This record gives sequence, structure tokens and C-alpha cells, in this order.
Amino acid sequence: MSRRRHLLRYLAGRLALVPLMLWLIASLVFLLLRVAPGDPIDALLGTRAPREAREALRHQLGLDQQLLSQYGHYLSDLLHGQLGQSLSNQEPVRAVIGRSLPASLELGLVALLIAAVLGLAVGFSGIARPEGKVDLAARLFGIGTYALPPFWAAMVVQLVFAVWLGWLPVGGRFPATLQPPAGSGFYLLDSLLAGDAAQFQGALRHLVLPASTLGLLLSGVFANALRLNLRRALDSDYVEAARSRGLSERRVVLRHALPNALLPVLTITGITVASLIGGALLIEVTYSWPGIAFKLQEAIGQRDYPVVQGIVVVVAALVVAVSVVVDLMVALLDPRVSF
Amino acid sequence: MPWALVTLLLAACQPPHQPDQLVVASRSSLDSVDPVDVTSFAGGQLLSAIGDPLYASDAAGQLQPRLATALPQLSADGRRARIPLRQGVRFHDGTPFNAAAMVFSLERFRALGKLSYLLDERISAIRASGPYELELRLTRPYGALAALLSSSNLTPVSPAAYRQHRRRSLRDRFVGTGPYQLVRSTPQQQTLRPFSGYWGPAARNRGVQVVTLSNSTALYGALISGEVDLLLSQGLESDQQRELARRSGRGLLVQTVGPAVEIGYLTLLSDRPPLDHPQLRRAVALSLDRRLISERVSYGMRSPLRSLVPPPLPGSHPPSWPAYGPQQARSLLRGAGYCNGRRLSLPLTFRSNVPADRLFALTWQAQLQRDLGDCLQLEITGVESTTAYRQLDKGAFPMIVLDWAGDYPAADVYVTPLLACSRASGFRCLEGSSAAFGSFWSAPGLQRQLQASEALQGPALARRLDAIQRRVADGAAYIPLWQTAPRAWAQPALAPPVFDGSGRVVLQQLHRRRT
Repeated sequence: MSRRRHLLRYLAGRLALVPLMLWLIASLVFLLLRVAPGDPIDALLGTRAPREAREALRHQLGLDQQLLSQYGHYLSDLLHGQLGQSLSNQEPVRAVIGRSLPASLELGLVALLIAAVLGLAVGFSGIARPEGKVDLAARLFGIGTYALPPFWAAMVVQLVFAVWLGWLPVGGRFPATLQPPAGSGFYLLDSLLAGDAAQFQGALRHLVLPASTLGLLLSGVFANALRLNLRRALDSDYVEAARSRGLSERRVVLRHALPNALLPVLTITGITVASLIGGALLIEVTYSWPGIAFKLQEAIGQRDYPVVQGIVVVVAALVVAVSVVVDLMVALLDPRVSF
Repeated sequence: MPWALVTLLLAACQPPHQPDQLVVASRSSLDSVDPVDVTSFAGGQLLSAIGDPLYASDAAGQLQPRLATALPQLSADGRRARIPLRQGVRFHDGTPFNAAAMVFSLERFRALGKLSYLLDERISAIRASGPYELELRLTRPYGALAALLSSSNLTPVSPAAYRQHRRRSLRDRFVGTGPYQLVRSTPQQQTLRPFSGYWGPAARNRGVQVVTLSNSTALYGALISGEVDLLLSQGLESDQQRELARRSGRGLLVQTVGPAVEIGYLTLLSDRPPLDHPQLRRAVALSLDRRLISERVSYGMRSPLRSLVPPPLPGSHPPSWPAYGPQQARSLLRGAGYCNGRRLSLPLTFRSNVPADRLFALTWQAQLQRDLGDCLQLEITGVESTTAYRQLDKGAFPMIVLDWAGDYPAADVYVTPLLACSRASGFRCLEGSSAAFGSFWSAPGLQRQLQASEALQGPALARRLDAIQRRVADGAAYIPLWQTAPRAWAQPALAPPVFDGSGRVVLQQLHRRRT
């Protein structure tokens, strides 16, 4: 069978599993939410309202129905592409996700760009003299950034650049004095398309600190991955053969070793993107970034079942999609990969 | 290097903080600005600026007519109230405010409001008895009716603007009669502009931006860096509040303290061991060193409280619960057979997601160890708050520390919800609020006393509440601990913020000092 047919068969197999996986995830989150003590009324009203009022509100929100009935409605809505309404304000869950997800994706993509550039630069820097001072510094950088607690790093960055120096905002996604740009929800893109410099600048100023912090924390992974794989590639037979053919070291590294060393980094990039789709919770909370992870955390605390269920299902679907795409890209780029 | 340059460039291009607009920060985001959805303090704060209830409580705790022109006129039997309404008032969309609009708003709140019980418990019917007169039929006489109607959730909304939203909420728009118009609203930011057609005194600023920052560190940092003009204390840790108070003392900030609206208290499960003996419960009440607890838990910012009603409401003074008396506590415990080689072990539950509760549990445990270690010891357990609320009415907690904030500034909303009992057997509450709140305590005749007190006002109410609280203190199924007063800190260029009687900052009074 040709490679292409193998690939298509693999893709079909992966996609065939998606509905089953999503059903399992949706059912699990449905069950776990209801098993957890307390319900949305308890979260919303605490001890405030009398019992009759609480029961009336439970009835109004459909929370007094049989569990099986609630599950049936939930699955039926899901099959029709409906994610329900938030219990706290009856806003469609799609709208909640539509507002929060672009915020997380914007943050994640910019952070990933910073992480890739910084990480690859650091990972590459010590290659000229292995075990030298630069290489040692690169290794320490990789380990150090990976080990940093995200919330601590974020608070230190906030303290230095926002509070002490006052250069950038403490948190939030957009200046309070400006109207956010309308469009896709990606403020940088929307403001560029609108040609509004003030909006673009405002969005960028608010993005710098959280994206830089997250990018710094992720860069260590890239640095270590590139360093290790490049080391391995430079020790391999085909590189030795290239050197013996009289090629310059620069050409050997850039044209032979580096492309092969980047393939595992591509896989790591895919895993990182998949994890960022769900948002970087600690960064979002510290910087008051209204992303999907922050919204999920809020919804869990409020026991807002539809919002939690909707976010988990949507994020799971996106993660699956991204992982399939990454697998395909690796397969297309690396002829050694077979299915 | 390029990264640093970009940062410097962005910093250099920092947009100026608009001098005529003020930025107010708080911790809670607002998923909806509709009065039927608002349940949080932050939501109430916003509604108090963009809405206008019939009455409002001023900083001295006095009720003043707002959209009403006089206090409610009660019928002889106290079951009918007529309220004259202000004329010449317009909604933000230009439509006139009148009795029909008020009826629409109140009926809508009864149908959709998450806090609809505020009306359902007290008001059986609402009608317009004239173009500018409202008539309410009450379920029973209620002396604090005006206070109830001062709730910001009961602010009227424009029937024209909410015509399509009779049966569902309008999340991101608000059309009321308040001094500010809501120009723009997202869960994290709300923009308020003064309403040019407002019937009352104009706002003293050109607008307010209300922003949400999701953690106390960001809030604190935003005030210190000058990014926000005013910070409200909800959501700030005690350490940060103390530091802000210190900065205010040095003139770096301006601080104002509002009236206490929240109390912290202990609920003791009175119908089963180990606290089914009143003597033991009184010993527990005497064992609390509130001054020490206040210092350790909140650096003194949560003042000790020995009454269920916070000042300045009637019934808050004189305090009914006993002061700290370890010798008296020891004597009571000895009388119950403890202290002579036998210790009473009491489980105390605290809400694990509320830092002050945890600090209280640890402090009191250590204080008891110091003062009554041979007689009494605490076993403390943390439970997530939603879980705790769910289990309260099942008698799951022998002792639990909770807090309570009244929905409006009236004494009975601090007393009745904790003590009401629709079915009692002696000192045991079988059904009612007392069971729902986990104490299961009542007393013969207490329910009649509570109901009778609802119709009273002034000194008669204060005397009745005093008598009720003495009985409750004697039963010791509830033990007040502290009162929490809201605070606000502002940049030094601003005049001190002003609080109303509901503990909310009067945003229209915010202004920059003349230099």
C-alpha cells in the first residue's frame, strides 16, 4: 500500500475514535460535576435564601430533574451542537467560549512564538563549544525556566515591570479607557484590520507581560529539546559522512543536523499548543487575563455545569484536532515515520 | 535585547490616564448587570451607581427617599403600603419613570430574580394606585419596608428597553434612572458616564471605569502603581489591607471605612452531642478572646462583635453576648465534669477556601490551648464552602464558622434568617431557618417574638431585639465573632470616598481635590 493510503487510513482511524472519546469525556465531566458536593444554587446564594426560594430556583434551572433525564437532555443538546446556557446568567455557553477562547489562543500563540525564538536561540547557542560556559548556561536556563513556579514568576514580573517601574499594566486584557475592537476576538488582529493604532497599542501593552512570562516558562523545554537532539544529530553517522565529504561545519550543522533535530521539537510544539488551548490557568489568574482556563476555574467554583461541560468538550475536541495535525505534519516531513 | 527595546517603547508610548475619568477596581467580574441576576457585592455596587431604588440609606444609616418622595404610608393593619413616587424622572432612554414602570420592574424581579425571595416573603401584590403612586400588599406588617425597598436589586428598569426581556435577563445593558449611564459592559470592565438627564445632584466626576482584577496581588499592585484611582476592599488579603491602611496613615493614600454590613459568627449544633447542653455552649461563648482573634486574623480590621446585629443598626447595642471570661468558662466546664483530667474535644469546621476562617480556627485552637488546655480542645477541619452550605441543614457540623451579610440595612435581616423556626419542639427547631443554618435551636415563644418585632420601628424595635438577643445569647447556639466593614482606598489626589448605609461607595461623589 502506498504511503499516502497508509496516511489516509491512519487519519480515518484517528477521526473515527473522536466521537467515542468526546462522549467519554463529556459523560465523565457530567458525572464528576454532579458527584461533587454542592450545586449551583449553593454556590450562587450560599446561605442567603430560605429553603423554599432555593428549591424554586433549582426547579427554575432544571436542577431538580432526575439525573438520567438531565444526562439525556445534555447528550441530545450536544448532538445538535448546543452547549446549553450558563446557570448564573443564562448566557449561551457558545458565547462564553467564543469570548474566552480567543483570549487564551492569542496569549498562547504569542507566548509560543516567544518560547520558540528564545528557546531555540538558547538551545543553539552552546553548540559551538559543547560543555563550555555558554552550553552550561543554556542547560541551566532550560532547567531553571522549567522548574520556575508559574505564579511566582508572574508575580515577580508583575511587581518589577508594572508596580515598581510602572512600564506596563498590572493585568487585564485591554485598557479600560478604550473600546475593545470588534471581530474575531483576537484583539491584535482585529485592531490591525481596523487600522486603529490606539487599540493595537493598548492590546499589545496588556499582552506583553503575560505572554513574556508564559513564553519564558515554556522556552526551557524548547532549549533542552533542541540542545539534546542537535547533540544526538551531530554525533550520528550521516553527519560524520558529511564532514568527511569536506563540508564546512556551518553547512553540516545548518543543512544536515538541524533539520533532523527540529523534528522532535515539532512534536513538542504540538504538545505545547495542545496544552495551551486549554489556557494557562496560573498565568491567566495572575494577570487577570479573561481566557478559557480562568473562565473554567470560575465556572467550577460556581458549579456552573453547562459552562464547565461546554468548555471541557470544546477544548478536548480542539486538542484532538491539534494532535492529529501535528502527527500528520511529522509524518509528512519525516519519511522514516510509517503508519 | 529586542524584547527589552519593545517593552521600553511600549512604556514610552503609555496612554495617559484620563484625568477626568476615574478607574475603580474590584475583584469580582460581572457576568450580568441585570438586577434579576446580580447576587454579588460588586454587582450591587455597580447597580447603586447606575440604578435608583425607592429609598437609600445614607452614611449615618438614615433612610432617605430617592425615587419615592416620602416614607411608605401604612394602613391601620400594616398590610397595605402606599408610596408616593417622584415625578419628572426619566430613564436613560428618555422614557418617563412612573408607577407603571415601578410595577413592571418589581414584577419582573419577582418572576426572574435570583433574590426574588426578598419580595416573595414580604409582598403579596404590587399595583399602581395612581400614575405616581405605588401600592404594596404585605404578607404581614413590616416596619423595615423602606429598608427592603432600598435594595439596589429593586432598582426600576425601563419597560420600553426591557420589553423583549420580560422573561429573560439582559446581561450587558442597563437602562435605569441612576446618576450614571452604563455605556459599555463586559464581564471585566464597565464604563459609566454621568447621565445628563438625572433628576438629582450631578456626579462630581466625568465618568468611572470599573475594572476587575482577578487576584488580590494584582489589585494591590494596580493601586500602588497608580493604574487605578480607587480600590475596594472585597477580595483583598488582610496583609494587603493593613499595608494600605499604613500607607494611608503616611498620606500616600486616602482611606475611608464604611458601615459594617457583614458579621462573622459560629453556629453550634444544639440538638445532639457534644453541644446539646446549654452550659457547654455558654462555656464555648466565654472562651473566645475576640480581641486576640481580631488582631491575629485581621490585624484588628475585623472589630470584635458581641451582637448579631452590626452597628449602627438598632439592636446592636448594648451587646448581648458575654465578653471573654476564661475563668467563668472553666467553672462551667468543671460543672459539666471536664477539666479534672478530662478534656472536652470539640470539632470545629471552617471553610477551607476562606482564609479568614482558617486563621480563626488556628488562632482559637491555640488560644484555647493556652487558656483552657486542660478542659477544652478543638479539632479543626476544613471543608470547601459550597460543600459546607449543602451539609448545614443535615446537622453535619457540631461547630462551624460562617459569615452573614444582610441584603439591606435592617436589623431583622441579621436576626430572623438565623433564628426563625416554623416548627419547634421545646428548644429544638425541627423546621425553619434555624435548622437550615445548622443550629437547630429555638426557644418557646421565640418565633412569636421575632414575628412581632418585624412590625416595630425605632426604640420599640431596639428593645425587642435586645430581649431576643439576650435569649439567643443564653442559648448560645449562635456566637457572633466580628464585624467586617468595607474599606476603600483612593489616590491622594482624590477626596476621601463616601460610603452609603449599605456599605457601597457613592461613585457620584468621587472627585479630585482642588489643588
